[in-house]
Amino acid sequence: MRTMLADAPRTALTMAYWGFVLYLFLPLTLMMAMSFKNAAFIAFPIGDWTFDWYLKVMQDKPFLEACAYSVLVAGLTTLAATVIGVWIAMLIATTEGRRGAVLFALACLPAVVPGMISAISLRIFISTIDMPTGTAAIVLGHTVHAVPFVVVMALTRLRSMPANLVDAARDLGADSVVAFFRVTLPYLGPAIGGGMIFCILLSIDDFVRTFFLGGYRPTLPMLIFAKVQGGMSPEINAMATLVLLVTGAVGLYAEYYTRRSRSR
Amino acid sequence: MASNSTLVRGGAMPAVAAPAYSTRLPALFNSGLYQSTLGALVSNKTTRMVLLAAVPIVWIVMMHIGPIYQMLKISLLSNYPIQHGRAPTFTFANYAIFFSEPLYFMPLIRSFVYATSATAVTLLVVYPVAYYVAKIVQPDRRSKALLLLLVPFWAGELIGTFSIIMLLANRGALNVFLRDIGMIDRPIPLLYTPFSLGFGLVYLISLYMLLPLYSAIDKIPKHLLDAAADLGAGPFTRFRRIVLPLSRDGIVSGCSLVFLTSIGVFATPMLLGGPTTVLFPETISGFFHGASDKWPVGAAFAMIMLVSALTTAAIFMRIVGGKSTRLM
Repeated sequence: MRTMLADAPRTALTMAYWGFVLYLFLPLTLMMAMSFKNAAFIAFPIGDWTFDWYLKVMQDKPFLEACAYSVLVAGLTTLAATVIGVWIAMLIATTEGRRGAVLFALACLPAVVPGMISAISLRIFISTIDMPTGTAAIVLGHTVHAVPFVVVMALTRLRSMPANLVDAARDLGADSVVAFFRVTLPYLGPAIGGGMIFCILLSIDDFVRTFFLGGYRPTLPMLIFAKVQGGMSPEINAMATLVLLVTGAVGLYAEYYTRRSRSR
Repeated sequence: MASNSTLVRGGAMPAVAAPAYSTRLPALFNSGLYQSTLGALVSNKTTRMVLLAAVPIVWIVMMHIGPIYQMLKISLLSNYPIQHGRAPTFTFANYAIFFSEPLYFMPLIRSFVYATSATAVTLLVVYPVAYYVAKIVQPDRRSKALLLLLVPFWAGELIGTFSIIMLLANRGALNVFLRDIGMIDRPIPLLYTPFSLGFGLVYLISLYMLLPLYSAIDKIPKHLLDAAADLGAGPFTRFRRIVLPLSRDGIVSGCSLVFLTSIGVFATPMLLGGPTTVLFPETISGFFHGASDKWPVGAAFAMIMLVSALTTAAIFMRIVGGKSTRLM
């Protein structure tokens, strides 16, 4: 009796965990299951199963174009955000005291500004500098959003770096640029890799910035949003399932990658 | 300095050292072009600092502060874009519009109610889960237990929202299940209600609560809990006297992040909410559709939301958190 009572909190916590896992996975599982429904409308029970929606989606030109466009935007965003984010982190790491703290706070600002406000302010901003909406504006918006995360990841890794590594390189005759590319950058490798994958996921997932900064070419979230608003069919489920599988694979690879490099 | 550059150029290096590097970078750094341009610049302390600081500072000022500044500026103008012969004047009228009409200020109040409740519910739901992963799960299986919780969030906002529709729609899984077991005759309207919106918000934002809470609870030394147990403290006392105070930082940053994220969500309320749940982002977006003559009003509304949301988060952090609490 006594042991049962002592184990009660543990049992409750275990149930809370698995309940939460169920809560997270149930809607996604239902969404994926619905992609196999052999009917033109979304409704449970599924009844008749089919693979046709996938064949249809795989040949759907707007979907494939949206995929390609999302990948393009994510790629450009990742490149820009990584370079700028690492650069900012390098500056913060060499700035001490209050100025460093202010710099860090400003570098993180876009991560705490609510998404809608960020999107609106960027929309106004690009109009004041006469930049048209479209790919460049989307990439700019996504980059602003992604930079703080790269900064935090790179800075965490920089702070764990023994200072004497760079000192040794300098003693051996490397100037700051050489020391950065030959010593600091390789040391930052895992953090940069993790940050880049995070940038990709942030960009692929972003809706609100793309909505206000985009032109007529839809990204994946915009396409799905338009389809959900325009009347639903299991076609959307097939699209969403494919996207989910790809982003899931990218995310899992990121976990594997950062874990492997952390243990090294 | 002279001996340094000789070494970098590699002229005085023994021949065996050179092939040890497989990258093409050394060749670049040894080239005369590099030595006379970038290499010369970084050998001087001032130009080196400028090289390091210029891009970050220009980016932060232009892209992190610039948009907010421009939004503030336009919110104070009588008209935008600036037309010929109609010079904009400085005015607070755009802010006054907000207070003039319940249609405008009610959505902001509603946004605050939803964001605050979603934050509170998320904290209550996620805290036990984070505690379980950080303290009950065996250390070697901890990262797998955490990973299982991260996977669903890679689905993203739109797919996550769409999945909630599958669960809650009139012919969604929940209603059909309840009908099949005979609990209801006709579907309960769950979708497009405050319930579905709250359910969706908690679903999408709980990750921002999970990670700060997990890292805070993970840092609590196990021997503190063991010592308390040896001294006769029950589970509830241990939680109240040790775990809760020591995870305060995680609670504060988790709640702030979740609050700021959920108040700025745009697509989810439009897809899961109904006519009675119009939130402030949708109100703001109305001013940015079509012609841009309503932009100053929209900018003023966005400023009101930004300032009130950040103030709320700051007050919360000051009251609940200590001085050391940081958001990121």
